[in-house]
Amino acid sequence: MKSTSWLWRGLGITTMVCTLLLIAGFVWALKDNWLPTSGMAVPHTSPPPAARAGNLASKAHLNIVALGDSLTVGTGDATGNGYVKTAAADLSKAMDKPVRVVNNLALNGLRADQLLKLLDDKGYRNAIVQSDIVFMTIGANDLFEIASNGSSMAQGGDITPEQLDRRLPEVQVRLKQLWAKLRGLNPVARIVYIGLYNPFYDIDKMRPASEQVQKWNTYVHELAVADGNATVVPTFDLFESDIGRYLSSDHFHPNEAGYARIAERVVQALH
Amino acid sequence: MANMMNLVQNETLKVWKKRRFAVVVLILLILIPVFVYAQMKIAQNSAEKFKGDWRSELQNRITDNTRALGSDRIPEEWKKWRRALVQQLQYYLDHDINPQSPNAVTFTRGFMDNAVTMFIPLMVLAIASDLVSGERSSGTIKMLLTRPVRRWRILLSKLVTLTLYVSFIIVATVVLCYLISGLVFGYRGWGEPVFVGFQVSGANVNTSTVHAIPQALYVLMQAGLAWFASMVVAILALMVSVLVRSTAASFVTMMAAIIAGAILTNMASSWNSAKYLFNVNLELTTYLQGTPPPIEGMTLGFSLAVLAVWAAAGLAVSFAFFTKQDILN
Repeated sequence: MKSTSWLWRGLGITTMVCTLLLIAGFVWALKDNWLPTSGMAVPHTSPPPAARAGNLASKAHLNIVALGDSLTVGTGDATGNGYVKTAAADLSKAMDKPVRVVNNLALNGLRADQLLKLLDDKGYRNAIVQSDIVFMTIGANDLFEIASNGSSMAQGGDITPEQLDRRLPEVQVRLKQLWAKLRGLNPVARIVYIGLYNPFYDIDKMRPASEQVQKWNTYVHELAVADGNATVVPTFDLFESDIGRYLSSDHFHPNEAGYARIAERVVQALH
Repeated sequence: MANMMNLVQNETLKVWKKRRFAVVVLILLILIPVFVYAQMKIAQNSAEKFKGDWRSELQNRITDNTRALGSDRIPEEWKKWRRALVQQLQYYLDHDINPQSPNAVTFTRGFMDNAVTMFIPLMVLAIASDLVSGERSSGTIKMLLTRPVRRWRILLSKLVTLTLYVSFIIVATVVLCYLISGLVFGYRGWGEPVFVGFQVSGANVNTSTVHAIPQALYVLMQAGLAWFASMVVAILALMVSVLVRSTAASFVTMMAAIIAGAILTNMASSWNSAKYLFNVNLELTTYLQGTPPPIEGMTLGFSLAVLAVWAAAGLAVSFAFFTKQDILN
């Protein structure tokens, strides 16, 4: 009987304390929800280290950030690697040093003007400032975006080479602003712009669009030359003969073989 | 009053001697290490990918969720949830706070968020379902009711006992979770800041009332809300236990209701009146987290009111039946 009384005392007190504690927690939760206070001061944490100047070969390890549209996301690649992961892995092997993709911030369907706004995001800034290399594809959605009639991009939609011509100057301005802002965030990173290709090369009506694509690439190349620490990786020639082998089923994005070839080019351009 | 105390003592010791609480602790001791191990694997994996750079990991989560928003295959309701999540994560990033700082308290917080709808109610049922029907199936109820004590007092003593054990289960869950996960993640993190006060309306998050609190306080509030939800489950289980003869039937009835609630919260956002069911309202911690509630228009006050009405009805039915019921073999 003695032991039972001790057990009861222990159990009774413990469970009673638990109950009171939880009721206090419950009341506090109500108070916090209905009468919120200013809360505690947030401690300050140190920002990520910025990338150091110097050429790629002299650095002990490399950080990469990838920005842009679906091409950088890797849409169409059944393996999910896209060109970014493959290029980073191959670069690491070729240069014999650790290469890390800090972040792939690309979003499907992104346009240059949207990316310009996104560069204000803290997450974008954090990733960009610490990068030694920036991979970027942008502008294709600005150029090829179909006004509003909703026809499929895969058929080339309503886009005519003339329309592309008309859009070109506006998008060029967007890219120039974007480039300047990016450079402002990180003065030392090597910017690698993956050039545009004409996904409709096998459609007779759209083959002439290659000329506009080329104009665009030339413009980006001028920007890169003016910048002095940038590269435009050409891809248009990869998608001209036997295009079906390298494009995915949406007839717009590359497939895994297409991305692998882009990655190969990127590594060649950097090493 | 002394009489009541004796009754509660009697009931508490009965539950203890039937080793009901021991079973609950045993379940916790087996399951928590499983979850800790799983979480450890995830942590190792992301440490390898992100090299401890939590900002980049957080941004990656934001990007992943943003990319998913573009997909046409995802239902509109889930997109709302993701949009709110993205805004919340962005808030953490903008204020330079890691929402998932790796420590035992963060693990406990995450565990409790997930345990409140299924796991904790299940453990509560292990005790509650058997409280009255157990006496009936073993025949001891006759002995209990032939004593010179009013019937409602007997049921009240059972209710008090149940309350004490519900509290004990929740505190034991938090404590065991902290102790076990601390072995892997380190016994730190009570003072880490967490943001509360996100107000979700549709896909938009209002951050005007957001404020930071230490994680310790968060866990306390979370446990308090889990306690309220568990008490409602316990009271309803007590009612079923009064109404149904066998413990198994009473347990299965309540379990079915709780599982149905978990399924409904995932799919019934278009069935608006489901918000008046008790089992859809159990996840009170969502209001603390600031994730969108299962059905639009639900608020903490609403959920508490719905749960309180269900509990009151459950108590009324339990007492009405228990005091009038004939006890037959």
